[in-house]
Amino acid sequence: MKVALAGNPNSGKTTLFNAITGRVEHVGNWAGVTVEKKEGNIKKSLVEGNADIIAVDLPGAYSLSPFTSEESITSEFVKKENPDVIINIVDATNLSRSLFFTTQLLELGIPVVIALNKSDLSKKKGITINVAALSEKLQCPVIETVSTVTRKNGLQDLISAAVSVKGKKQKAPFEGLEADLTDKKSVEAADKKRFELVKAIVAEVEDRKTSSNRQTRQDAVDRVLAHKWLGIPIFALVMWAVFSISQTYVGPFFADTFVGWIDTFNGWVEGLLGDRVSPVLKAILLDGIIGGVGAVVGFLPLIMVLFFLLALLEDCGYMARVAVVMDRFFKKVGLSGKSIIPMIIGTGCAIPGIMATRTIKNERQRRTTAMLTPFMPCGAKVPVIALFAGVFFNDSAWVGTLMYFVGIALIIIGALIVVRITGEKNKRSYFIMELPEYKFPSIKRALVEMFSRAKAFIVKAGTIILLCNAAVQIMQTFNWKFQVVAEGAENTSILATIASPFAILLIPLGFGVWQLAAASLTGFIAKENVVGTLAVVYSITNFIDTEEFALINGATDVAGVMGLTSAAALAYLMFNLFTPPCFAAIGAMNAEMEDKKWLWGAIAFQLFTGYTVAFVTYQAGTLITTGAFGSGFLPGLIAVTAMIGCVAYLMKKGEQKATAKSALKSA
Amino acid sequence: MENLVVAIVILAIVAVSVTKIVIEKKRGAKCIGCPVSKSSGGCCCCDHSANE
Repeated sequence: MKVALAGNPNSGKTTLFNAITGRVEHVGNWAGVTVEKKEGNIKKSLVEGNADIIAVDLPGAYSLSPFTSEESITSEFVKKENPDVIINIVDATNLSRSLFFTTQLLELGIPVVIALNKSDLSKKKGITINVAALSEKLQCPVIETVSTVTRKNGLQDLISAAVSVKGKKQKAPFEGLEADLTDKKSVEAADKKRFELVKAIVAEVEDRKTSSNRQTRQDAVDRVLAHKWLGIPIFALVMWAVFSISQTYVGPFFADTFVGWIDTFNGWVEGLLGDRVSPVLKAILLDGIIGGVGAVVGFLPLIMVLFFLLALLEDCGYMARVAVVMDRFFKKVGLSGKSIIPMIIGTGCAIPGIMATRTIKNERQRRTTAMLTPFMPCGAKVPVIALFAGVFFNDSAWVGTLMYFVGIALIIIGALIVVRITGEKNKRSYFIMELPEYKFPSIKRALVEMFSRAKAFIVKAGTIILLCNAAVQIMQTFNWKFQVVAEGAENTSILATIASPFAILLIPLGFGVWQLAAASLTGFIAKENVVGTLAVVYSITNFIDTEEFALINGATDVAGVMGLTSAAALAYLMFNLFTPPCFAAIGAMNAEMEDKKWLWGAIAFQLFTGYTVAFVTYQAGTLITTGAFGSGFLPGLIAVTAMIGCVAYLMKKGEQKATAKSALKSA
Repeated sequence: MENLVVAIVILAIVAVSVTKIVIEKKRGAKCIGCPVSKSSGGCCCCDHSANE
């Protein structure tokens, strides 16, 4: 038996799906989180008679007309795949909006059961719904549900009702609502009629105590948090607090203990190997595999705390307000208001962020968003940020906050450039986003999100990062004749000879050494590799607790070992954050852009951005701190000027294209 | 003998990692480990032109 979960965006479909299947799909307190259908088996404890029932979580839709990609998934699925039963999740706090879609579902002939979700919230708001009357009007079972609680949530009744209606023909309770989908006027007339019908049903079954005209406390909070000017400094303050807690206070507290365990394990393995094992094998196992992976995994507590806090912010409804604050800027630079959703999802991982761009209807806006989403620092970049903030900036929370805001600034500048290159600068889009109500965030949900991210991080560290670190260690140990490189002749290793040509290009950015170039190169496989490779090439196994730091090359701390100034360190951090993302994310960009010209253009643009930002940061920082420009200023300036020249040329061509287009239109 | 044992341990670790990557890739994961980056197996949403 197959049951489809369908409903409006942010009606709680994924929360209900997780509750009935026991899965932990990502949920968000805003519309548009689900962009693909997901399947899972309904828990046996909810099913009478142990039958196998598959639940399919569909993206939110306001209508069965395929206006956006997520709506087309929903309408295609319910129309073509013929589920046995449709569970229509209706937001009890917003009945009038939800029933429009319900009336369309009832016309499909597939049995429908309505889950009157968020019933607890509707009662708190003084809304009374006559469930029996609603069920009678719609001619289908209506069950009150609260999917966020484990007891008395109505889920068992819901599944029983779904099982009981299987095989029955759903009768459409209303007639005369059909429309000719090829005729806009016919669709509009039918929609109007449908709205009138919904209004009449709601008037009969709903008793709403609160007046919608009255200003609520939520409105008062929104006037501050979503204020067009105040909203940005508040967001900066919130992010600073998040980074302070995760990277300066709580995170390092746990990380110290955790890294201690990794060190103990490393020491135990070293003792086990003794002196009779070949130094090469010892180095691969201890420095490459355990040391490299351990250096990355050491940041796990910081990442867990960060994602816990971000999940709380999302769940309480604050991130939706950030979307509203940013929407104003995004629209001005030709992006869709919807672009903010992929970008916020991208703070977890760029790949689902890029995949979420498919909700954007306009092709140019969708491709631009897919191109710019990787500028938001993802979870993989957090260890790199934490490492550089800790080593060079005394664990300052402003480093992480700055990276987020530089990312946002680059997205806005990037969008401005792309819109001019494509010659579509006059096109504006409009985006209506329903603001979810503020609520006390679910600690359970935040913990689930945190452990889900932690598991992902450990799996990645134990697979890709482990293999990369082992390969880096081998390439550092041997030369091209496969002889072990002598001490002091590390420049002849395979790794050094591969990375050195790239290092030359990085001299104007302040980090033209092969070790740092190698770390950046492995970062394209997975960004966490930057930390892992640095650990391997500099033989540092512990970046968190360096109290017992071994003297390496005469240096007494990590910063000394790397030989970077603060300006160069910040430039290196920005270079790794704002150049192209990992190959997997580039693959996702390729899939969403569906155009090779756009893909290569995007990669070139990201390289240009990362290089330019790093160059400006290093040279300006060096000028401020020392009174003179840094090394390689002139060749760097020539390279950056040439790149800016290319972009300016493309923008001019785009302007001409736009002028020609508008002239043609007016003619 | 000790060298052989350590070499086998290293190869075993590498083999487990490679196997995990292959399994994840076969399951459609675009980013290994990431819980929300599974590819859209069989989804009908990829024809963007239909929505224009």
